[in-house]
Amino acid sequence: MADLRAAPGASLDPAAPADRPTSGTAPTGTRRRRAGGLGHRSPLRPWLLLAPGLVVLGVLLLWPLVRVVLLSLQDYGLRQIASGESNWVGLQNYADILGDSYLWTTVLPNTVLFALACVVLTVALGTAVALFLNTLGGFWRGVGATAIMVAWAVPAITGTYVWVWIFDPLNGLVASVLEGVGAIEPGTVNWFTERLSFYAIATLNVVHHGFPFVAITVLAGLMTIPNELHEAAKVDGASAWRRFWSITAPILRPVFAVVTILSTIWDFKVFTQIYLMPGGNGGNKDVFNLGVWSYIESFAQGKYGMGSAIAVLLTLILLGITLVYMRTLFKEEEL
Amino acid sequence: MSAAVVDTPTAAPAGQTLRARPRRPGVAAAKTVGLVALLTFSLFPAYWMFSSAIDPQAATRGARLLPAGVTWDNFVSVIDDGGFGHYLRNSVLVALGTVLASSVVALLAAVAVSRFRFRFRKSMLVLILMVQMVPLEALVIPLFLQMRNLNMLNSLLGLTIVYLAFALPFAIWTLRGFVAAVPVELEEAAYLDGASWGRMFWKILVPLVAPGVVATSVFSFITAWNEFIFALTFLQQSSKYTVPIGLQKFFGENTTDWGAVMAASTIITLPVLVFFVLVQRNLSSGLTAGSVKG
Repeated sequence: MADLRAAPGASLDPAAPADRPTSGTAPTGTRRRRAGGLGHRSPLRPWLLLAPGLVVLGVLLLWPLVRVVLLSLQDYGLRQIASGESNWVGLQNYADILGDSYLWTTVLPNTVLFALACVVLTVALGTAVALFLNTLGGFWRGVGATAIMVAWAVPAITGTYVWVWIFDPLNGLVASVLEGVGAIEPGTVNWFTERLSFYAIATLNVVHHGFPFVAITVLAGLMTIPNELHEAAKVDGASAWRRFWSITAPILRPVFAVVTILSTIWDFKVFTQIYLMPGGNGGNKDVFNLGVWSYIESFAQGKYGMGSAIAVLLTLILLGITLVYMRTLFKEEEL
Repeated sequence: MSAAVVDTPTAAPAGQTLRARPRRPGVAAAKTVGLVALLTFSLFPAYWMFSSAIDPQAATRGARLLPAGVTWDNFVSVIDDGGFGHYLRNSVLVALGTVLASSVVALLAAVAVSRFRFRFRKSMLVLILMVQMVPLEALVIPLFLQMRNLNMLNSLLGLTIVYLAFALPFAIWTLRGFVAAVPVELEEAAYLDGASWGRMFWKILVPLVAPGVVATSVFSFITAWNEFIFALTFLQQSSKYTVPIGLQKFFGENTTDWGAVMAASTIITLPVLVFFVLVQRNLSSGLTAGSVKG
C-alpha cells in the first residue's frame, strides 16, 4: 500500500504536468493541489473502482484461459467429466495435432487463407467506401453511412442464414439466375460442398459484415485531414491516386494499422459464420477452421483435451497478432 | 473534396472554369452510380431477408426480386408454433441483465483508468485490450465444465454472467474516452464547493457521461443478443433458448421453409438494427475515441 500511496505524487504521471499549465493562475493551482490532498485522490479509490471489473475478468476470462491450457495437457473426455479426475498426458495432444496432416492441409489453410482474404478485401473495400463517402455532400454521405450501418448491424447469425438462402442450390437467388441464363443445370450445383466455393460464400458474408467498421473509422480519420493539403497538391498537379498515397495514407497510417489488425483478430476467430453454413457444424470436415475444429472435437466428439489444445493454438496465433497490435497502438497513442 | 470541386471554378479565371466544367456531369454520374452500387450491396441481404419473410410463396421465390404478395403468416407461425415469443423473452432478460451489470461495472472501471494516475494503470489498460482478443472457442470449454459443476448450464443467469465478461472490456475501453472528455475543471469546481468524491461522481460525472453509457449499453445489448457459441453450448432445454439458438434449431427442423426462417431472422435483426442506427453517431465517435485517438 505504501507503494500505491507514493505513486500519484511521483513523476510517473505524464498527464498531470500537461494539465496544470492550462488550468490557470498559481493561487488556484495551489488550492487545487490542497483539495487533492484532502482525500479526493485517495490511492485506494482507483482500485476499489476497478475491483468489480477485475473480479469479473479474472474469474470469467483469465482463469478459464489458465484452465484451457491445463485441459490441453490432459486426455479429458466424458469419463473425466463425470468423475472430475485429471488425466495428464503431457504434450501428447499437441503432438497429435501437429503431426496430423489434416491440420496442415485443411484446417490451417482454411483459417489463415480465409482470414487473409477477408482482411485484404475488408480493408480495401472499407477504405474505398470511406474515400467515396468523403467526396459526397452531407446528406448523401449520411444516407451512405446509414446504409452501411445496416450491413454492419445485421447479426452474424441471421446474416449467415440470408447468404445461405441466397446461395441455396434449389431455389436460391443465385442458382435461379444462373439457371435462367442457362449457365448451370437445375439441381446440379451445390456450392456448400466444395471447399473453395464454401469459403468464397463465407468470405462474402464476413467482408459484407466487416467493411462498414473500416469505412466508418477511416471516414472519421479522413475528415480530420485539412482540405488545404489536398488543394495544394492539386495545384502542384498531383493525381488523385498520387494524393492518396502521398497525403492520405501517411496521415492515416495509425488508423489503417488499427483497422487492419482488429480485422485480422476478428477474422481468425470466425466461428458462427462457418458453423451455421451447411456442413460447417460437423458434416463436412473439409471446411473446418481452427475454431470449428476445436468446438467439434470437444462437444461433438467429447475429446475436451484435444479440443482445448486446438483452442490454445488458435489463442497463441491471436496473441501474436495482438502483440503487434499493442505495439502499434502504444507507438501512436499516449494512454 | 466536393467543396474543392465547387469552389475552384468560382474563384478561378474564366479559362479554368471552362476546363473544370466538362468534368462535372461525368463526376456527378459516377457518384450516383457509386452510391447506388453501395446502397445495393449494403442493403441487399437485409432487403432479401425482409421481402422473403413477407412473401407468401417465399420458398419458391427463385430470382423474383419483389415478393409475390404481403403476408404476416410467417411471423405468426414462428411466434406461435416456432416458440419465438418465448425465446424473445429469454433474450430480452439476458440482454437487459448484461446491460445493467456491464454499465455499472464498466463505468466504475472507466473512471478509475481515466481519472486516476496509479501504479499498474497502464498494465490495466493493456489487460483490458488484451482480453478482447481471446477467442470464445478457447473459453467455451473451461466455462462449460465450470458451469456444469455449478449446475448453471440451463440457466439464463449463468449466461448473463458470462456475457457480462464479454461485454465489459469493450464497454470500459469506450467509456474511458467519454469520461476523459469531461473537463477535470468541473470536478475540481465541485470539490471547491465542498462536494465529496461520491457526490461529485453522481452529480457531475454520471450525468455528463450518460450519452456514453447509452452508447456502450447498446453495444452490450447487441453482444448479448447476438451471442451464439455459448448459448449453443450452455442451453440444452428449449424453454431456455435465446433467439440465436431458437433460430438454429428452427432451421434444423424446417430447412426449406425459407419464409419462416427469414421471418424469424427479421425478428432477431430488427431490434439490433434500430438500436444500432439510432446510436451511430455516438458509436462512431466512441469507437474512434477508444481505438485511435485515446
